[in-house]
Amino acid sequence: MDELELLKKDWGKRKPQFEQVSVDEIYAMLHKKSSSIVKILFYISIAELIFWILLNSIPFFSSDAYKEQINMVYKNDTTFYIVLSVSYAIILLFIYLLYKAYKNITATDSVRVLMQRILKTRKIIQYYVIYNLLMAFTAMVLGSYYGIVNDPVIYEQFNGFNQTQIIISIGIMVIFTLMFVLLTWVFYRILYGILIRRLLKNYKELKKLEI
Amino acid sequence: MDHSLEHSFVDLLGKHQNIVHKVCRLYTNNQDAHNDLFQEITIQLWKAFPKFRGESKFSTWMYRVALNTAITLYRKSTRTLNTQEFDSIQYKIEAEPYDDTEEQQLKLLYDAVHQLNDIEKALVFLYLEDKNYAEISDTLGISEVNARVKMNRVKTKLKTILNP
Repeated sequence: MDELELLKKDWGKRKPQFEQVSVDEIYAMLHKKSSSIVKILFYISIAELIFWILLNSIPFFSSDAYKEQINMVYKNDTTFYIVLSVSYAIILLFIYLLYKAYKNITATDSVRVLMQRILKTRKIIQYYVIYNLLMAFTAMVLGSYYGIVNDPVIYEQFNGFNQTQIIISIGIMVIFTLMFVLLTWVFYRILYGILIRRLLKNYKELKKLEI
Repeated sequence: MDHSLEHSFVDLLGKHQNIVHKVCRLYTNNQDAHNDLFQEITIQLWKAFPKFRGESKFSTWMYRVALNTAITLYRKSTRTLNTQEFDSIQYKIEAEPYDDTEEQQLKLLYDAVHQLNDIEKALVFLYLEDKNYAEISDTLGISEVNARVKMNRVKTKLKTILNP
């Protein structure tokens, strides 16, 4: 006899005894908090949004002296404010996309669609992180350039440098920037790697069936 | 909070709770994990309940939410899993006069099913619940042909586990 048929016979005929959960216990469960992966991902995305928004807003929260220095470096350049406004618009766009993606996640979808929807939210957050890393990289490069050109103190210092010293300083800046970007990237790989390892494994298993 | 909605949900879940227990049985290895998963499935069912329009049977709707929770939404408990505990406490099969060899074979079968991956377990579960391939493919989101092919592979895999 087929193994599964034997199991099916048993499954239907001799229902295993389960300790029944009482009505009161069910009521209590309804008010407990879910610890689902979607909830965890949701909190992480909120944390991501806040973290990068705060990082972008540092100039506005810092001392007047710092603000003055920023203004001097960028010389109240309108391009600087345009870039800033665009970056906030992009953050708003990401908030909207994430909100929509989370609203679409429902446990009543098929197993495959549910997985796809969760993976989509992770993709949005991933793009958000890539976007921020690119921005951080660009800001660091542009910031250094503007600093050297417009800040008299830094300009003086660089003026006194010979060619080798300039190359070494630029090299150090580039290495630090790359290390920052790389470390952030590794951090996300590990974080999401741990969180969605099982989901990815199961999703691949389902996809394999379609080949 | 709509109390009548809550009341009808608790009433329905109370009646059909064995479905949730059975899913927990397949996807967990001990009593603590079983209870954790039961709670998470209940929460997910409750969250989805306002959208339940009665187009399908409550039990059919439950299969989907319960499996989705077990496979995708639930984060496995970090507690150490002890398969011994699983066998001895929760899932004693009702004692009827029964053939010892068949009893032994069943025990081995349940152990073998536990060694399958999450998707294979879902297939086995729906098969054991007497769902046809149309329903299985609909629940998992794969084609009917693929569901059949996979089911045959699962049968072969079970055979291999049982007769290494």
